[in-house]
Parts: sequence; structure tokens; C-alpha cells
Amino acid sequence: MKLTVRANPGPAGKSLSQSAFSLTIPGHLLGRFYLFAGIVAVEDLLLSRMINMGLALPLHPFPFAIMSFAVFLGLGHSSLKAQREVIPFRFGFLGGHLACLAAAVCFFFFALPALHLVGFPYLLAADSIPKAFIGLSIPPLALACVPLHAWIRVFRVTSPLWVYAALAGVCAGILSPLSQKFWSDPVTAPGQFLQIATFHSVESALRFFMPDVSANAATYAISTPRFSVLIYAPCSGIQGLALVLGFTSVWLWYCRKQSRFPQALLLIPCALGSIWLLNIVRISMLILIGDRLSPAVAMGGFHSEAGWITFTAVALGFSMATERLSWVRKTPLSVPSPVGFPAGVETGEAAGAREELREEHGESPATGAYLLPFLAILAASLVSKAASGNFEWLYPLRFVVAAIVLWHFRSELKKLDWRFGWVAPLTGVAVFLVWVAPFRWAHGSSASPLGSALAALSPAARLAWIAFRVAAAVITVPIAEELAFRGYLARRLVDREFDRISFSRLTILPVAVSSVAFGLMHGQHWMVGIVAGLAYALALRWRGRMGDAFAAHAVSNLLLAAWVLSRGDWAQW
Amino acid sequence: MKMRFLKYALPVLGFALVTGTSAHALAFFKNVPEVDPSLAVGALMLLVGSLAVMRARRRK
Repeated sequence: MKLTVRANPGPAGKSLSQSAFSLTIPGHLLGRFYLFAGIVAVEDLLLSRMINMGLALPLHPFPFAIMSFAVFLGLGHSSLKAQREVIPFRFGFLGGHLACLAAAVCFFFFALPALHLVGFPYLLAADSIPKAFIGLSIPPLALACVPLHAWIRVFRVTSPLWVYAALAGVCAGILSPLSQKFWSDPVTAPGQFLQIATFHSVESALRFFMPDVSANAATYAISTPRFSVLIYAPCSGIQGLALVLGFTSVWLWYCRKQSRFPQALLLIPCALGSIWLLNIVRISMLILIGDRLSPAVAMGGFHSEAGWITFTAVALGFSMATERLSWVRKTPLSVPSPVGFPAGVETGEAAGAREELREEHGESPATGAYLLPFLAILAASLVSKAASGNFEWLYPLRFVVAAIVLWHFRSELKKLDWRFGWVAPLTGVAVFLVWVAPFRWAHGSSASPLGSALAALSPAARLAWIAFRVAAAVITVPIAEELAFRGYLARRLVDREFDRISFSRLTILPVAVSSVAFGLMHGQHWMVGIVAGLAYALALRWRGRMGDAFAAHAVSNLLLAAWVLSRGDWAQW
Repeated sequence: MKMRFLKYALPVLGFALVTGTSAHALAFFKNVPEVDPSLAVGALMLLVGSLAVMRARRRK
């Protein structure tokens, strides 16, 4: 297997049939700008998770840089897109960039603790050195993605756009602290207005079900005979409003060609109103659950999960509204057959409109079969965790729902190659060893409330729960996750018609991105999750069979289940 | 000219509003999660995956 790195010269040179593992880098200017922004964002995320220093990049230039970059790309999009000359990627500068990052990480992990130990007098200044290295790493990356001569040409062809972009950035830098002060000021704070409105709305809603509820407007406390909550400003819907505002803006931008403006903008306040009302329902239900069912469920699973459930519901409702409401869409949903023509006979215009609709709904018809089993598990986990306190007693729901969805798509899934060879179990064993090794070496068996929660169950209930947990780990989870991450995501990153792409022709970039997504889904195990994703992808690519990935994933999960049950290392579950 | 200005100004305004509100909302994540950040990856994957399925074409 050879490794080649090449610059993609554009659509004409887009190849899906490369026999080698090849890293495809956008060849044109606009693609390089997106690559630069993507690398910075991903590195920032990884560094902040790795070295826990908040946002890894120095914070002050953030509003300036983001706004300048957004305005520059937004206004200069067509000029940049017109630059079709293939530009080289400078790996030397990439090396400089990586060296700066390595210096930052090494300084953070090795030099700083040593300086703390010896009582170095200028620790505050020393603390900023890793951030300085990270800041220094940005220019080499910019020059790696876009060579100096290309930067000069960009400034020339987009002049005076970069001046406007810089001005917008300066405005953002000035307005950012002012807007945050506006939100945080206790006298004028919209957050406090939300708090008051939420408090009285929840009280009114609860009085409908519980006449004996008491409310203290001075402390924002709402109490029932058995349960009490304080409605803080942060609980008043501000986070949901922020998420919905972000999602609706991004979604309308994504659907800008299919939507009518300004009608579509009216949907944003509707979505904001919905999420705020649902937050009132969430708090009211939390108090009802705490009073009538279980305080542990109310403050445990429900408190954490209900916010995401309401946000997901509003976001999906918003996207459905932009797709279905005829006064928001540019293209009609259904094109009527013309008068005088029998049903099914179309004019050229109607057929063209239908074809346009098909193009608009551009995802492959196989998307549901590959994604829905995994989405069913995610949805079931949201529900089962919301109904749980410290112990997820409804876990079997995840297995049942996934099994039903897999059964529903059985005819589609039968078309896959389910055979597997010796590499699959070998990969499974290797992933298992990589998975347990770091935790074993670091601190042995970790404490987890799962063991004590299971011990409190009756023997029959304990056996049933463990049986479902193992069945899910070995059967439904490997199939659903491999279908979603390797079967769908890795190939979808290559082409919209993902089901036509052979697994043996997957390139490094989609494999890496899908593996990172797979790893991030595994929470604290994210790093070994990425390694596992890469290993399953290699097993899949070996002979181009999904069966190898299914088997490898199932073997590692089976061994992990055996490890957990035999050693009582419940933290691994 | 007015429409052209609006076309470019509205996304910028939206971007400023989103980042400003998010910055305020994110500051609270450390204390009381209305939306728990540790569950963000799973919830966002559910949302993005559902959107992909919604936009899938029907089989002919």
C-alpha cells in the first residue's frame, strides 16, 4: 500500500478510482481558504480538549479574525472562486506549523510543571508561552495552504475588499465585549428579563396541575411539598435560544437557493419562541417528575437530556418548515399535471421542475438504510437517559429500537458483503487491547456507579439488563455504527452518491474525518475511539467488505464486554 | 443596490448575533447546563443525520 499526496486540480480531476491511499488537497484558492479555516478549527478543538486551556488560541484576536475571515470569504466568494489556477501546497511551512504546535504541547506538558516545581518567579508570563507558540503556528499554516505569491494576487484581485473585512473585524472586536456586557449587566440584562418571564410562566403552568405549588419571586424558587428548584438566569432559555439562533442562521444560509427571502427569515422568531416555550415545558416537567416520580430522575437524566431533546425537535421542525411551507420555498412541492394531460404525462416544464426537486433533495436514496439504525440508537439513548437517574435502566430500548430498524431495512442490508476474513478478528483483538491498555496502566479499574446500581437489582433483572447490554454491544451497535461511519460518512465525504463508491477505494482524508467523528462520539475515550475508527476502516478497506468492519467491531466489543464482566471494570461501559 | 447590500449585510448581522449570544450562553455552561455540553456530540450527530435522511431522495 503506497501513500501518495497530491493536490486535487478540481472537478475535472476528481477521481474515485485511485488504487493508492491518496490525500486529496484542494488545488484552487477558495478550497485552500476553506482548508485553512478547517485545519485551524479542528486543531483548536483538539488542543483545547488535550491540554485543557480553554480555547487554545489566544482569545483576543478571535472576534476580529472570525469576522474578518467571514466577511472576506462572503463578499469575495465569486472573485476567489474565479481564480482557477492550481496552487502548490507548501509542506515545508506545514512542518513549521506542526513544529510550533509540538513546541506548545511540549512546553505545556513538560516545561510548565517543571517551572512550577522549582518555584519560577514569572509563572504568569511562562503560562502564556504555549499560547504564543500556537499563535506563531498560524502564519506558517496560512503560507502552507496559500503561498505568498497567491496571497499577493488575492489582495490585488479583491482590493479593496480586505479593507472592509478588516473594518468589520475591528467593529466585531469592539462590539463583542460591549454586547457581552449588555447581556451580563444586571440592570439591563435581557437574561434577567428571561428569568422573570420564565419564572412566572413555569409557576402558571404548574398551578394548572398542582394547585399547592409555592413560588418565591425574591429567590426565584418554585417548591412543591416534595421537590424544589431555583430558576437561575442560565436556566431561562438563553442557551436554547443561542443554539436555535445558530442553527436557523446556518440552515437558512445552506438553503438560501431554495428559500424565499425575507419570508424565510420570519421562521427564525417562530423557532426562538418555540424553544423558549419548550424550556418552560421542560422546567415544569422537571418539577412534576421530581415531585411525582423521582428527584434523582428529574435532576439526573431529565435535566441533562431534555434541553437537547427540545433543541433537536425545534431544529428538525424548522428545517421541515423551510422544506414544506410553500410560501417559504421557491420551488413548489408538487407540480400538477397540466390540464388536458392524463395523470403521469408531463410537459417539459413540469418534468424540469420535478428534476430540479430531485436534485434539491440530493442525498442518495440509500441514506436511510445506512443512517437510521445509528440514529435510532442515538434517539433511544436520549430518551432512556432522560428517564434515568444514575442508572440507565431503559438501556434495552436501544437494542430493541436498533433491531427493529435493522429488520426494516433487511432487504437493503442483504445487498452488502457480510463475509469476513482473518484480518477482522485480529483487528478486533488489537482494538480491544488499545482500548483497555491506557486505562489499565493509568489507574487500574475505575470506579463507576454502574456496578453498585446493578448489584442493587434483583438477579433476574440484573441478568436481563446485562444480556441486552452485551447483545447491543456485539450485534446492533457494531452494525449501526459501521453503517453510519464507514458505510455512509466516509464515502459521503467523497461523493453524494456514496453507495456507488467501492470501500477499497476510500482515501485517507474521508477515513480520517469519519474516524475523528467516531472517536468524538465516545466521550472520554475519544482518542482510542479515533484509533479504533481508523483500524475498522483499514479492515474494511482490506477487501472492500462491510463484513470485515462489522466483525472487527463486534469482536472488540465482545472482548470488552468479557473484560468488564470478568473484572468488574464498569467504567469501560 | 439595496438588495445587494441586504444580501451581504444580513448574514454578517446574523453571524454577529449568533456569536454574541453564543458567547453569553457558553459562559453559563460551566455552572448549570440547560443543554449539557458533554452530550453535544451525540445530539448534534442525531440532528445532522436526521437532516441528511430528510433530504434523501425516494427510491424510484
